[in-house]
Amino acid sequence: MQAVNWQNGLEQGAHPAGLLLKAGKLHDRPAQTDLRVKSPAELARLIEAVAARQDRDAFVALFDHFAPRIKAFLMRSNLPAAAAEELAQEALLTVWRKASQFDRQRAGASSWIFAIARNLRIDSARREMRAKVLDLEANEDSEPPAPPDAELLASEREQRVRAALDHLTDEQRRVVRLSFFDGKAHGDIATELELPLGTVKSRIRLAMNRLRDVLGDLT
Amino acid sequence: MRHHPKNETLAAFAAGQLDEGRALVVATHVSLCAECRGAVAAFEAVGGEMLNSVEPVAMSDGAREHALALLDREPSPVAPAKPAPRPVWQAEQETLLGYDLGPWRWVSPGLHYRAVKTPEVGGTRVFMLKAVPGLKIPAHAHTGTELTCVLKGAFIHEGGRYAAGDCDDADQDDVHNPMIDEGEVCICLVAMQGNIELTGFFGRMIQPFIRI
Ligand SMILES: [Zn+2]
Repeated sequence: MQAVNWQNGLEQGAHPAGLLLKAGKLHDRPAQTDLRVKSPAELARLIEAVAARQDRDAFVALFDHFAPRIKAFLMRSNLPAAAAEELAQEALLTVWRKASQFDRQRAGASSWIFAIARNLRIDSARREMRAKVLDLEANEDSEPPAPPDAELLASEREQRVRAALDHLTDEQRRVVRLSFFDGKAHGDIATELELPLGTVKSRIRLAMNRLRDVLGDLT
Repeated sequence: MRHHPKNETLAAFAAGQLDEGRALVVATHVSLCAECRGAVAAFEAVGGEMLNSVEPVAMSDGAREHALALLDREPSPVAPAKPAPRPVWQAEQETLLGYDLGPWRWVSPGLHYRAVKTPEVGGTRVFMLKAVPGLKIPAHAHTGTELTCVLKGAFIHEGGRYAAGDCDDADQDDVHNPMIDEGEVCICLVAMQGNIELTGFFGRMIQPFIRI
């Protein structure tokens, strides 16, 4: 989103993603929250419980886990706190509405909800059309074959993503995060890291090629 | 499918960081390419991991109760039917689903241009080009980035042959000498970044149509 200037105020750009991943279990949760870290399979089960029986307890658990993260995520892409909170609310409401479309064999809970939040952010920038074309699910024309053990698959997928991120150098992780998930323009990253623009670009290219090599197509 | 967007382009698409014009070209390719759908899913999983690992920011007091109150106003969710396939490019009608298209306009012998109306962001313009078989397009360097998806027919340049569905994710310093392949009219979707003062071969040709 080159047109937007992204805020730098929110500390995390400085942390390589890998460190954050490893530190994930230590994060303070909002006071009202269940303190246990939820596994990918648990998160998937919660969405399925919402889908199967409109389970409000499951919804609350999802809300407590994801809403503060979506809010944080959106604030890093330069949304004011109030707007980020509103979109986080909308994202969870969307999870409630679309829970039956969730298919753990196709996507992990976090990546599914990431895509929802991403589309809402795009929508909020009055680009509904783009969100529509980004809604790739609608383009799937065939069911993937059901794997024997979906539970295993969900955690395997998660592990592969973590392993892929661990395969990157700290510098690569940093530009990946800054560029793709904090939405900073390459020029701003170059300024911040005091690197030539060409170096930033080639670092991103190398990092993405490497991620892709390690991840395969994750399907 | 032989030519795909670069991984960094697919990643930016998955992260929601492409401007609308470039996103449209990538989405068009992705709707036609299972391999890239897989890649986008992989990069979305990276996004999910980033989301999970972000330092949470507490919601304000009562946010959760507010959300639960909103649920009361929701109609019972009905299990939706499997969504019908919805390709962005509709080959039969030669149209892009959900977009306003300008009329085909003559550019030069054998070459037509049609605007795709997207809100302009970051100076990216989107248009379709239609060229007759055998047409040679003079060598041109890309002064901004150009992202092209072939919708129909094929063209050939130094990078190979680009047929329907293929994506040309050209670098700024690529110099191309494209020729339309024999046999069929070629239609491409192009997202071109540049300033108001468009440069480059296509830019100069097309400029009269997109005066602001
Ligand atoms: Zn592809």
